[in-house]
Amino acid sequence: MPLPLNEVLILKTNMFVDFFYTLKKVGIPVSPTSFLRLQKALNMGLVNSLDDLYTAARTILVKSERYFDLYDQVFAHRFQGVELKDPDAFELTEVTRALLEEWLKNPKELAELLGIKEEELSKLTPEELVQYFLDRLKEQTEAHHGGGKWIGTGGTSPVGHSGYHPGGMRVGGISRNKSAVKVAMERRYRDYSVDGPFTESQMSEALKRLRNMVPYGPKDRINVEKTIYETMKNCGEIEIVFDRSLKDRLKVVLAIDNGGWSMDPYIALVQTLFNYARAQFKYLKTFFFHNTIYDYLWEDPPRRSKPFSVEELVRLDPETRLIIIGDASMAPYELLSTDGSIYVGERSGKPSYMRLQFIAQTFPHSVWINPVPPAEWPYTRTILHIQEIFPMFELTLDGLEKAVAHMMR
Amino acid sequence: MNETMENKKFTGGSKYVLDEELANIVNISMALEMPLLLKGEPGTGKTMLAHAIAEALRMRLIVLNVKSSMKLIDALYQYDTLTRLNDSRFGDSKRDVSNIEEYIKMGKIGQSFVSVEKVVLLIDEIDKADTDFQDDMLDVLDQMEFDIIEIDKTIKASTRPVIIITSNAKKDLSDPFLGRCNFHHIAFPEPDMMRKIVQVHFSGIDRELLESAVRAFYRLREIKGVEKKPATRELINWIRALRSDPDFRVKDLVKGEVPYLGVLFKKSPDYAVAQNAVARFRV
Repeated sequence: MPLPLNEVLILKTNMFVDFFYTLKKVGIPVSPTSFLRLQKALNMGLVNSLDDLYTAARTILVKSERYFDLYDQVFAHRFQGVELKDPDAFELTEVTRALLEEWLKNPKELAELLGIKEEELSKLTPEELVQYFLDRLKEQTEAHHGGGKWIGTGGTSPVGHSGYHPGGMRVGGISRNKSAVKVAMERRYRDYSVDGPFTESQMSEALKRLRNMVPYGPKDRINVEKTIYETMKNCGEIEIVFDRSLKDRLKVVLAIDNGGWSMDPYIALVQTLFNYARAQFKYLKTFFFHNTIYDYLWEDPPRRSKPFSVEELVRLDPETRLIIIGDASMAPYELLSTDGSIYVGERSGKPSYMRLQFIAQTFPHSVWINPVPPAEWPYTRTILHIQEIFPMFELTLDGLEKAVAHMMR
Repeated sequence: MNETMENKKFTGGSKYVLDEELANIVNISMALEMPLLLKGEPGTGKTMLAHAIAEALRMRLIVLNVKSSMKLIDALYQYDTLTRLNDSRFGDSKRDVSNIEEYIKMGKIGQSFVSVEKVVLLIDEIDKADTDFQDDMLDVLDQMEFDIIEIDKTIKASTRPVIIITSNAKKDLSDPFLGRCNFHHIAFPEPDMMRKIVQVHFSGIDRELLESAVRAFYRLREIKGVEKKPATRELINWIRALRSDPDFRVKDLVKGEVPYLGVLFKKSPDYAVAQNAVARFRV
């Protein structure tokens, strides 16, 4: 079977395939469909410079800002070879050559972009052209140009640059005056990447999925089916039936280990998050504990004045989602021994792991969220024990999402 | 690319400061006739962009504000059963009760389809809806048609609207959804950009005020432990407040005083945190 035209085109444009696979290899989920779309954009003449390529390929191929940083790195690597410190040592890769070949299909435009006459362009051998191209690129890396140079400057590219618009409308763009590669090298999106810092808003986004819609509030929704039914029953005399609208009434209990130093970096984060989430959850209760749970949870962070007996938890709605946040790392006896608590007042004879089992049974929708990276879990005995009682997830965006999905099952 | 698209190139609106990267992306999406999905923290002008496109290209803007309880059908059309029931009971309207079509009202997506002219369709805060809604909606937008079951009629779009979708979520949308959109993340504006944005809103603003206000603003955004950082909207309102206060002197800002802090920090815990931090600004 002959290949469809589009695929033939791809085979021709080797270097894009190369780029595409590198993106894939570094873990950016790029789909073949979107790749074909990029080809379409190229064929439509929407991409006229490396700058355009940078934005076009990103907007079409990369679907999350979490991958923008990776994309920048791959782009910089592919299109300049970012690892080479000295621009003179720049080697012409197959990629650059293919890029030129692509452009050579439209010599007029290329000539215009390079700022030489078409006849002169046709006189150049490919090698000379490549040299010319590299010289241009070098100029670009050495200095900022405002005018007619071909990479990434205002004015020459036909697509949407600032400075180029016939209608006289005001464009307040900041002229970039840097090549796309340079922009890519800046790695502006580092903070958004998957392994970037974990922020409050990211967590609250993950937690937004926690909801439980139940009818609540005044009866202000018309139930059409029931209305028709009742009206018919009423011999056609209209009888309107109202319902309550659906509201989120999910109850959430949060238990935070605020004892050990290992938890310190996370306390503020977790609390800010849950304060924010408070508006969403109709019922949110926060408890504190140290290392693990014995007879009491504490409503006050210093764990002194407001004890809350673990047995009291049964009074809460079993549909409550319980989230325990702690590193689950302690001396094994603290978890397993009958008098494991480091606080004398809490030694009722029941070991902590039994308390935890009791809690897990009370709330079928419960999770343990652990700031310790999962790779280290197998080396801590108490983590393994607690994992048997509660499903454990790591305290990352990913882990939090999985935990939420688990709780909403 | 056809002629009309060539002419209709997006270059910015009168109250919108556009960076060239974004202009590029908008133009590519329009040329490819793909919906453009915009993400970014609140206050980066996602919604404003759709307004600016509509204004610049002189197209009508249709806004679909997505709500969590929304069903796709609400966005397409609505069958007004109650009015029909009422009409059939009392028969005092001009509508023909036996003709269901008279009781069909177009939703926002429906409106953008039946419009003769090309329109800009803004689907705002898509992340509020559930995944099914999102995927089904993209199906409709892909095929550019939907059925009205009640009257067994297919509504086909006469012209494909320019579709802008915004999302506040840090979480990614579903893969099939993303597969059908172009994507851009609008980063929070850099100070340079922010100065331009402010100038667009306050033409002829005093340089000194502009400088110190923007500087103070970025400093305030640095404050740790704040849930909702002040964004562009807050800055503009704040400058408006500063300018309308006859007693205000720019020197106060330089000294580290921040009047009208409440305009910037709207949540009371944030306000308290910010007030504390500002107290430390003063030397």
